[in-house]
Amino acid sequence: MANKNTTILIVAFIVGLLVGTAIGYFIPNPGTVPKSEYDNLKNQLQEKEALISQLQDKLSKLEGKKIKAAFIYVGPIGDYGWTHAHDVGRRYVDQKFDWLETAYAESVPESDAARYIERFIKEGYNVIFTTSFGYMDPTIDLSKKYPNVLFFHCSGYKRSKNVGTYFAEFYQIYYLNGLMAGALTKTNKVGYVAAYPIPEVVRHINAFALGVKEVNPNAKVYVRWIFSWFDPNKAKEAAEALISEGVDTLAFTEDSPTVVQVGQQHTKEGKQIYTFAHYSPMLKYGPDTVVSGQLVHWEIIYQDILMKIYLGIYNNTNLQNVDYWWMLREGAVELGADFGVPINPKFVPELKNKVLDHPQFGKISVYDLVMKRLAQMKEETVLFDPFTGPIKDQNGVLKIPAGERASHDLLWSIQWFVDNVVGEIPKQ
Amino acid sequence: MRIRIRKRVVESKRKIILIKIIAVLSALLADAIIFLFMNVDPLRAYYEILRAAFLTEYGLTETIVKFIPLALISFGLMVVFKAQTWNIGAEGQLLMGAIVTTWVALNLGFLPSYIIIPLMYFSGFIAGLSWALIPSFLKIKLHVNEVLTTFMMNLIAQKILEYFVYGPWRDPHGWGFPQTAMFPENARLPILPGTRIHYTTLLLALATCFILYVLIWKTTIGYEIKVVGGNIEAARYAGINIAKIVFLTMIISGGLAGLAGVGEVGGIKFRLNPNVSPGYGYTGIVIAWLGGLNPLGVAIAAFLYSGLLVGGDALQVAMRLPQATINIFNGSILFFILAFDFFTRYEIKLER
Repeated sequence: MANKNTTILIVAFIVGLLVGTAIGYFIPNPGTVPKSEYDNLKNQLQEKEALISQLQDKLSKLEGKKIKAAFIYVGPIGDYGWTHAHDVGRRYVDQKFDWLETAYAESVPESDAARYIERFIKEGYNVIFTTSFGYMDPTIDLSKKYPNVLFFHCSGYKRSKNVGTYFAEFYQIYYLNGLMAGALTKTNKVGYVAAYPIPEVVRHINAFALGVKEVNPNAKVYVRWIFSWFDPNKAKEAAEALISEGVDTLAFTEDSPTVVQVGQQHTKEGKQIYTFAHYSPMLKYGPDTVVSGQLVHWEIIYQDILMKIYLGIYNNTNLQNVDYWWMLREGAVELGADFGVPINPKFVPELKNKVLDHPQFGKISVYDLVMKRLAQMKEETVLFDPFTGPIKDQNGVLKIPAGERASHDLLWSIQWFVDNVVGEIPKQ
Repeated sequence: MRIRIRKRVVESKRKIILIKIIAVLSALLADAIIFLFMNVDPLRAYYEILRAAFLTEYGLTETIVKFIPLALISFGLMVVFKAQTWNIGAEGQLLMGAIVTTWVALNLGFLPSYIIIPLMYFSGFIAGLSWALIPSFLKIKLHVNEVLTTFMMNLIAQKILEYFVYGPWRDPHGWGFPQTAMFPENARLPILPGTRIHYTTLLLALATCFILYVLIWKTTIGYEIKVVGGNIEAARYAGINIAKIVFLTMIISGGLAGLAGVGEVGGIKFRLNPNVSPGYGYTGIVIAWLGGLNPLGVAIAAFLYSGLLVGGDALQVAMRLPQATINIFNGSILFFILAFDFFTRYEIKLER
């Protein structure tokens, strides 16, 4: 009897409506509401309605709107480091957002970058990520030629109204690695195999050395430049040379797991070498030697950038000051030699047994110190920064006064070593 | 039945060209099989490459941009190879040209452009030339094999370049990154509006093609170069000064590579950084051979090869294929042309 019920409902509704109208007509006294207030309310209603339709318009546009993002890579996506890590980020956002379409070009030489970028734009791509420092000039040039396209350049310093910059920064993690290195070294000689003497690498060596110094003021960090981002032979040579000079702990900046493999080899042969991985999960290359390391999460940055473009927060007029310099707090970097493993369990007891008298925390094990510092730097307000004065350079000159933190600009262009580093930076 | 291989007595031009065409077609056929395995329509892939390189205005201008350094280098190598002298050092000569030009651009920027730009070309030419003189000297005086020395000089040039950009020439306002400051406006080569073609270097390249043609076919020196290359004993017997020919051809090839370096920093990058050349000096070797060591042939080979490099992006951008596909494609074309080169010099006969 559904029909009958519906009929009853409709009738009741109509009756209710009529009664309501009648009551409404008689009860409120129209005379008590001034005409101006009535108009005011009516205007407000109209305004709200206009706003709603605008928002609906925007929403429907958004729902139909596709962002096409192209990524320009300097290496092959199968490398063991930089480009692979960026591509992991690209695949993550590509899968996560159904309004996003991505494409990439790999192994793009610097002098050809402009052509690849332009081709992607002609194919309809409206967001371009250029993921190598060398792409800076072409990115800026093309941003002028294509003012409606959004560009994001990784690791550079030039921005404009439609070019933003971004970088996942490791120095906090290098510092944490330094704490462990300082605790583990028996010879008080810590080695560092370094790619190129650019500020990024100098900064990381310094942060590492500051960590070493905090737990072991007698230890020194010995630096060897190999002048390459990827050269397993030179990295091996440098690591072996450092070991033969008495170094028993090694960190590095270079895109291969060579240093870890050298450490593993020596450890297997009975001489314990401690190593710290760089950029990619390298635990499997040296389960007996890797203590910890640095890992990157570009997807955290890519997700934020693309979401803000999608929501209209970023557009082609307001990127002048958009500069991502993301670290532990934002989750763009992670401590460890494998995801989810901050310290190789093999070395945890040793670090827990090593107790020192810390000026800030009193008696504390190195393991707890690492965890405490890690937690502090993850805090929203970043309770600790490795580059907090007093910090002196190799010549004993006070570079950062007591109690002060280094500014972004100082770290970004740093060209001197802290006082417990042994090594040289080519002079300008 | 036996197969007999015989050296051709006469190498007919027509046959050579025919064999090269067959070689390219065989390469395309082999690549088609690879494309089919990758579930890609080979005809569409070829069309995309062709379109990206030659059939759009943008592609064509970019092909010319690549053509400029490759043509300059391979013209020079053509001359030196003709004298059977193996200059593998064009890459280093290019870098030295780029380095010295950068010094001129950054330090003499107060000069008006009609003085500084010719000066940049001149200094780049001299720098490349000087870099080629060292191995020439070692070859003539100490009989050191130039294949090794020229190649090793490339590595030294790269190190010198790195010394300057990481050291004394580093841009003081560049946040410590390894690159020099930008060239002042008047030390930048003129560009065809809307493109990246630095046309003065292009004109130099085309002029070089003509001059070298005259040099090799219309002058005594050209004749001597060919004799030295053809039979060094005969040349010696005929009283040709071999040292002079080696020096001269090395100078031409080094200088032209230096000019290519001027174009790259003065017309494309406007600054010096560690990645000036994506291996143009080595690609030039291939092109000089593909072009049959003759100016027109080399010019055509340089143009087509530039197109191949430029059109290759289409495979990544439009077809979404990995970079390795481009390497396979370019590599197979080279492989087939060089393999078929055998048939231009030998003929195969079946005998019963």
